[in-house]
Amino acid sequence: MAIVIAIVSFGFVGYLVFPDVYITAQEQPEVFVTHTGAVVQTTGDVLDPVYTIQEVEFDPEKYLRDFDYGKVSQLEDGTILREYTIIAEDDKIMEVAPGIFYNVWTFNGQVPGPTIRATEGDLVKIYFTNNGSKEHTIHFHGNHPAEMDGIFEIVGSGGGQFTYEFIAGPAGVHPYHCHVMPVEEHIGHGLYGVFIVDPKEGRQQADEMVMMLNGFDTDFDGENNLYAANTIPFYYHHHPIQVNTNELIRVYVVNMVGLDPINNFHLHGTLYKYYPTGTDMIPSEFTDMTTFSQSERGILEFEYQDTGRYMFHAHLTEFSEKGWSGVFYAKDSSQLNMEGYAYGS
Amino acid sequence: MEVKRSSNVKTAVSVIIPFVLLAIMIGYVFGPGSELIGYGVVLPEISIEKVEFVDSEIIATVRNTGQISVNIVMADINDRIYPAAIEPDKHLERFESAIVRIPFEWNEGEPYAVGLTVDDGTRFEKQVDVAVPSIQPTVEMISYFAVIGTYVGIIPVLIGLLWFPFISKLSRSKYKFFLALTIGLLLFLGISTAEEAIEISANNLSDVFNGVLLVATVAVVSFLALNYVGEKLRKRAGASKLAGPVAIALMIAIGIGLHNFGEGLAIGAAIVLGEAALGAFLIVGFALHNTTEGFAIAAPMARTKLMIGKLAAMGMIAGVPAIFGAWVGGFSYSPLAAVIFLAIGTGAIFQVIVSIMRWIQNEEGKLSNSSVLAGIAVGMIIMYITSILI
Repeated sequence: MAIVIAIVSFGFVGYLVFPDVYITAQEQPEVFVTHTGAVVQTTGDVLDPVYTIQEVEFDPEKYLRDFDYGKVSQLEDGTILREYTIIAEDDKIMEVAPGIFYNVWTFNGQVPGPTIRATEGDLVKIYFTNNGSKEHTIHFHGNHPAEMDGIFEIVGSGGGQFTYEFIAGPAGVHPYHCHVMPVEEHIGHGLYGVFIVDPKEGRQQADEMVMMLNGFDTDFDGENNLYAANTIPFYYHHHPIQVNTNELIRVYVVNMVGLDPINNFHLHGTLYKYYPTGTDMIPSEFTDMTTFSQSERGILEFEYQDTGRYMFHAHLTEFSEKGWSGVFYAKDSSQLNMEGYAYGS
Repeated sequence: MEVKRSSNVKTAVSVIIPFVLLAIMIGYVFGPGSELIGYGVVLPEISIEKVEFVDSEIIATVRNTGQISVNIVMADINDRIYPAAIEPDKHLERFESAIVRIPFEWNEGEPYAVGLTVDDGTRFEKQVDVAVPSIQPTVEMISYFAVIGTYVGIIPVLIGLLWFPFISKLSRSKYKFFLALTIGLLLFLGISTAEEAIEISANNLSDVFNGVLLVATVAVVSFLALNYVGEKLRKRAGASKLAGPVAIALMIAIGIGLHNFGEGLAIGAAIVLGEAALGAFLIVGFALHNTTEGFAIAAPMARTKLMIGKLAAMGMIAGVPAIFGAWVGGFSYSPLAAVIFLAIGTGAIFQVIVSIMRWIQNEEGKLSNSSVLAGIAVGMIIMYITSILI
């Protein structure tokens, strides 16, 4: 008995002190590429947020150019009515980065919620259902009556309902988000989205896309662990956004990063016209770096003359190296057109 | 015969029954379908035990020190995410450990924080004060550490042994004083060894190991084991006047050897951790300090005739472990191994103290005479003063 105990305890201590002896290597070596391009071989597993193709539940590729124009109908006075359904939930566990599982709170099952798009002057009706376990609301930035603000009209958990109804405006890009306190918690878990109001006269035809700048504090220590444009860290770094040369690109950028007071956007290879909040048709700046405070947003317009890969990222390098970076891959437009490939809304 | 066998069976059954009942209870409480202990949230916990800097790579040794298994999913340096590899695999059961290799062009002399994130998004960090190239066990480095171990361990102990003729000429009461002085020296060493073990466990071991209790348990077990061995040794040697002192000196040498192993560890680890200045101080300090250890070995043998061979052998037993310590500390530093070795050393030293006291009592009658008490006090004071130099 004593001998058995002694052997077991020695074996256990030995295992603790010299684990290497007990480690048996995998047969097939794996390979990964570092940020600087070196190729490294390992007998174990690769921990790589960038270069491995991941099955992501949320597809940033799809979200990028996905606009929800609602169910469209016309009222007797000629006003366009756009109806949307948004359901809030707060029990989903999502893989926000390869291997990292986080409890996201969602509008229509995704973070960010769907990009709601209407034209200035349209009547917007949003049928909101709260299927979560907590109280939630939707607070739209923009013009609306006080009782449509989503602040005092708390929508109860487990199927509470509310219909937000207002005339879309002003033209520009706005966020929407849950406004139940603690707001930081409700936004931090993912209850936000983009609301685009197109001017009546429209904008110039362009390849349009949405970038929601967001972050996740996965260990609740008051600092974001991950940053991204459109939720998944490094996604566009690994899957470059395909664009055409000599075609206008329009990016609707909204910053919903909590905990950090500012975020920013930096573009490589060219400069862009910047329209703060998108409310004015005349750009305020021609630049390649814009600073965004929380909920600050704007429209970027630019085009590439030359083909190739151009980075875009937070110039706060901490954010970019924790996931908020990506690449535009500019291809020859004439070639693409021959393939019958077209962008835009 | 029959009766005896059946009583044996009865005894065995009576031993087993409580275990069976305990197993049934544990099965009922924790087993499948049990809802009794379903409350609370168990959080994952990992410890980064070691960080090494090699060519274009930072290597972290990580252990699952929580109550549930975890997956390591992300690595970062200074809070910046990097592609990395984990060997043998990213899934860690309780107490399992793995090596995380993070390709990174690090700069010598700069501080770095190594972070690992587990699957629920919790990030764990280890701060390294100074990045220095990890030392590879080349022939050159092996001999370098051997030379340092010799300077720290062997030479000072042998120098200390040169007091032998002086001690052997002393009067009875003065001799008692010096023997007691040895107790003081060892008392100090024992306390400092325990302190070091507790310090390492506090700084480098996860709470799950219960550092102080680990040290206490290992020290007590080693004390008892050496006590048993010592007793056997003495019995076998009989009441011979010669064997007694030699046995005690031998035990002192073994105890001091274990202690010097700890000193070697400290020096090796300091050099590896890039604390070159600390390493140099440790070398000088330990060298001065260890001269007194030679004295401690010489003292009990001073009443016997001079046996240079035995004396030198004991000097080696006490000194050589410093070289092994420097190798282990320099090449494969493991905080857990260090704590265990130091705790064994603590037990060994206290066991030696008890042996010397018993010996003085047998030889001289009583312990509480003035020269014995003064000797212990002076011994501790000498050690304290030499230890300030470290």
